Amino acid sequence: MLLVPCPHCGPMNAGDLTYNGESHRRPDPKTCTPKEWRTYLYLRENPSGWLLENWYCSSGCRKHFKIERHTLTGELRAPVLPGRKPGATQGDMK
Amino acid sequence: MVEITHLDSMPKASVRAADGTAAAAALGLNFGSSERRGDTLVVRIRPDEWYLLGDGAPAMAASLDLSGFASMVDTSHSRTAVRVTGDRAADTLAKLGSADFGDHMTPNRAALGNGIAGVTCDIVRDDQSGVRSYLLLLDGSFVTYFLGALHDAASEF
Amino acid sequence: MSYRLPAPLGNAIDRSSAISFTWNGKKLKGFEGDTIASALLANGEHILGRSMKYHRPRGVLTADFWDPNTTVQVDDEPNVRASHRKLADGMAVSAQNVWPSLKFDVKAANGLVGRFLTAGFYYKTFMKPAKLWPTYEHVLAKFAPGGAVDLNTPHGRYDKRYAHPDVVVAGGGPSGMAAALAAAEAGSSVMLVEHEHQLGGHLLWGSDDDQVAATELAASCEAAGVEILSNSTVAGRYEDNWISISQRNHPGVIERLIKARAKTLVVAAGTIERPYVFQGNDLPGVMTSGGAQRLIRMYGVKPGTRAVVFTANESGDSAVEALQSAGISIARVVDARSGEGITSASGSKSRVKRVTLSDGATVDCDLLVTAVGWTTPTSLLNMAGDRPVYDADAARFFPAGPPDNVLATGGMVGDGSRNELIAHGRATGELAAGRAVVVRHRIQAATARATPVDGQEPDYPADERTPLDRARHPEVYRSTTHGIVDYSEDVSSKDLFSAAGEGFDSVELIKRFTTATMGPSQGKLETVNTVAMLAEARNETIAEVGTTMWRPPYAPISLGALAGRINEPTRVSVLQSWHEANGATPILAGQWVRPEHYGDPAAEVLNTRTNVGIIDVTPLGKLDLQGPDVPKLLSLLYTNKWMALPIGGVRYGLMCAEDGVVLDDGVTARLDEEHYLMTTTSSGAAKIWHWIEMWLQTEHPDWQVHVTPVTTGLTSINIAGPNSRELLGRLTDDIDLDPDAFPYMNVRRGTIAGVENCIAWRIGFTGELSYEIHVPSGHAVHVWGQLLEQGADLGVKAFGLEAQRIMRLEKGHFIVGQDTDGLSKAPVTGLNPLLKLDKDDWAGMPEVAWTIESGDHPVIVACQPDNGSVVPEEAAQILRAGTTEIVGRITSSRMSPTLNRSICLAQVTKEFATPGTSLEVLLVSGERITATVQEHHAHFDPEGARLRG
Ligand SMILES: [Zn+2]
Repeated sequence: MLLVPCPHCGPMNAGDLTYNGESHRRPDPKTCTPKEWRTYLYLRENPSGWLLENWYCSSGCRKHFKIERHTLTGELRAPVLPGRKPGATQGDMK
Repeated sequence: MVEITHLDSMPKASVRAADGTAAAAALGLNFGSSERRGDTLVVRIRPDEWYLLGDGAPAMAASLDLSGFASMVDTSHSRTAVRVTGDRAADTLAKLGSADFGDHMTPNRAALGNGIAGVTCDIVRDDQSGVRSYLLLLDGSFVTYFLGALHDAASEF
Repeated sequence: MSYRLPAPLGNAIDRSSAISFTWNGKKLKGFEGDTIASALLANGEHILGRSMKYHRPRGVLTADFWDPNTTVQVDDEPNVRASHRKLADGMAVSAQNVWPSLKFDVKAANGLVGRFLTAGFYYKTFMKPAKLWPTYEHVLAKFAPGGAVDLNTPHGRYDKRYAHPDVVVAGGGPSGMAAALAAAEAGSSVMLVEHEHQLGGHLLWGSDDDQVAATELAASCEAAGVEILSNSTVAGRYEDNWISISQRNHPGVIERLIKARAKTLVVAAGTIERPYVFQGNDLPGVMTSGGAQRLIRMYGVKPGTRAVVFTANESGDSAVEALQSAGISIARVVDARSGEGITSASGSKSRVKRVTLSDGATVDCDLLVTAVGWTTPTSLLNMAGDRPVYDADAARFFPAGPPDNVLATGGMVGDGSRNELIAHGRATGELAAGRAVVVRHRIQAATARATPVDGQEPDYPADERTPLDRARHPEVYRSTTHGIVDYSEDVSSKDLFSAAGEGFDSVELIKRFTTATMGPSQGKLETVNTVAMLAEARNETIAEVGTTMWRPPYAPISLGALAGRINEPTRVSVLQSWHEANGATPILAGQWVRPEHYGDPAAEVLNTRTNVGIIDVTPLGKLDLQGPDVPKLLSLLYTNKWMALPIGGVRYGLMCAEDGVVLDDGVTARLDEEHYLMTTTSSGAAKIWHWIEMWLQTEHPDWQVHVTPVTTGLTSINIAGPNSRELLGRLTDDIDLDPDAFPYMNVRRGTIAGVENCIAWRIGFTGELSYEIHVPSGHAVHVWGQLLEQGADLGVKAFGLEAQRIMRLEKGHFIVGQDTDGLSKAPVTGLNPLLKLDKDDWAGMPEVAWTIESGDHPVIVACQPDNGSVVPEEAAQILRAGTTEIVGRITSSRMSPTLNRSICLAQVTKEFATPGTSLEVLLVSGERITATVQEHHAHFDPEGARLRG
């Protein structure tokens, strides 16, 4: 089982967290086309390589966080996003 | 030897307070730690949440300045407390929960969230006169089941 | 005749402690420390089972955990490994996979028709025609191996625990023990796991000095505080050294699964001796050199009287010494290193009698010992990502290089004297401990609650171990004849050659096609021989063929151990003991144990409609919401409008997921300026809490809302019926119940039955005038009792979940998840006035808008069977009349005590939704009935006069 580094709690068993999948931007519900909305709902990049994903520390600090995971090697790293502090929520990092 | 006690009537309050609020400043502590203040055990259980536990909790909660983004909920009736005490207390919890309850990772006064026997618990290491002890806080509706699971786990010690 | 040897042979048995057991009903004796197999051999019983496909007699081959053909039935437990399980007093042991008896097995006739059972036999023969499969299955089941499962066997006690050791050492031979000891001496917490019963590995059947060294090392490990898990197996290694350990020696439990997060894993699994492939290699009396030595030196059992030894290495040479010490005459030593060989063994049905050598000579014997080389059990390293490489000079695979947190030592990485192996183990243990220190430092530094770490992270220790040498070894895999490769699965080298001939060129495919390596020994004895056969058949090198992927588990684990303790959390309200004492039939609704009814749900309905009823609805999800931005949050979560709910107001709301599908519903009350109480469905409570946190944290982190679950803290009681106002009025002074002061869909706070801080609101799930009160749970038993006491003359009675379900159906209220499903978008509910498309945003809004625009969706309707005495089953299909075209289904149905007829809710396509439409309903019996779509969802009091009164 992967050890996932929660920015608040430290390394956590993946099973103690909730996996919320690939990180994606929510389109503006007022102006989006069906195609954009359904891409947001259903389509995932599923790359072979680094993937930015969402996790929820459901049994620990109850914070949502993002992490980059290498889908081939299982390596994890804090996402490198300019101007953001580690552990920022999805909202901060959009 | 492991002693399991249901602390049915312990007063409890949950305080949520954002950084920079008067309540956050007054309660202090690092995330994941706890401190006894008089007859209240103050626990910073989440980055923005504190538990006030014990007989002094209602008074302390009432005295807090909740201006700004801060709030308080009396959880005395929602959550219940179970204490697991004894040399093999950590071994008992290790049969039911995945966290590392040993001294390096969970020293006295440390606090964490972890599923114990399938029930989400907030756990405070709160040694009693030098004897290893963990205070488990959980939704009160589970407690009959939960005590059964704890006693079953502790039966080998 | 006894085959027991005199002491000092037999270091594992205690001759002062005799044990009685039975073998196929026959009374026998063994000693404490015997395995079932060693005790049977000591009694001259050398056939322990029959092979899977051909039912050939089989005996002891390896005399250890991996012995492939010694699975037996012990009492009510099937598939016990006789060469591993320790003998216990009173055991009733019997052979399995034999019919009608071990010695006379009619299924051995399979051997005569063996050509039907060659590789891929099942695939080729039984695939078509599919309709005959049940027949095939019936016949084949009789030939399947395995013991008898007794369905009346009581549940065994299994267990589970987590562990967080610095170092896990897999394998308790000299290197593994030395590694564990060195790591413990360096300050690590260490678990040492050995799958046999004793630490020592090959030292246990070695020289006297070896045996002394094993005892000393084991004692040192214990003294150093190593946690020793013998008769336990490291079953798997997963990401970040998540290690599963099957522990079979824990007192009081049959088996225990340990989930350990190790900072460093040391793999010291040793080597496993390969059987030799030749005609007759599965006859009883043919065994490996390790097997013969274990029997003699550990169990004091004489495996035969006259032996031929075929040797290619020191283990064979040492076996010769062991045989001599046991007084067994050595008929011939055939040395592969000087070009000698054997071609076949023959015998009676039950035992080897003669060996034919490569030069054509024959030698009579009753024991043939082979020593042809080693398999490196690299499973755990493979699971860590290592891809072992074949070394032709050493005739075995070696690890290529596992990741930094996994270290291999001992026979897996080379050869050496006992002291060299121990030295390598020690160096490995020190390295493992050094690396664990760094990992621990990192974890503690990253974990807020942990003991703070001082100073800088220590340097990560480099691997500076002196490697072990690799002894040269001839490649000796198969003679000129064919023999068994996989003893458990009865796969021969001939099967593998013919599969190769059919074009199976990959070892992964040939494994699946022939089932070689897929039996209980998990490929430990068979994999390398399978690879070697494929290489030979395809005229390739073993290195070119490569090895198969070794996957968890290393050795089979019982399903009981995987399940562990059965921890299924259940919840009860504080009123549950009252319910139980008053005849409630319990029902499990999600995690909640609730009263389904107190004897007669129909009577409970009628009493509530006539007088007043009270129901415990505590499981209703309740969330305390505080903060200035709660209205924005509610507007985002619910489909309707929330910005103008006044203090004291209650509103119903529907929630959708982002795909527009109905997610949950409930009412939310505004208690104060910035304080709200939301209710959710019982099953949705936790889901909606996390759903709210997700929106607040990820999409609107600037919104100020605190969410706290208070489901259990407030015991919820619904007081429903014409007398409910009168009843509640008797219990409160400070809540004005006058309908003008406290109208429908309003909330008030006050004191009820002397209990302060109660919340009461008027809503109407049952359709009656009703107050739902929420009482601090510590006082709920008192309030419940007061309601019953004060309302006795009003006819108050408790009602259960079933009565509530009936009443809500009479009122046509849908239940999320019952009348909607995972495809039901919001317009399906018919609550279109609540779907506010003019709001800026709400979860699922775009999909709902497009669904309304297209109009292409089913709708929920109320319908009544024309024959009111028939209650169609829930989920009964609704068909276009006279056809099999499905146009809907019944989602809820009950007999209504109020209307005295059957009533339903259904989902139908729009074409069938018009009131008055006749629906054709297909019952489970096959009968079709008709039902008529109703004007309103409510079957009863559609105007709602009762609840608004
Ligand atoms: Zn966390």
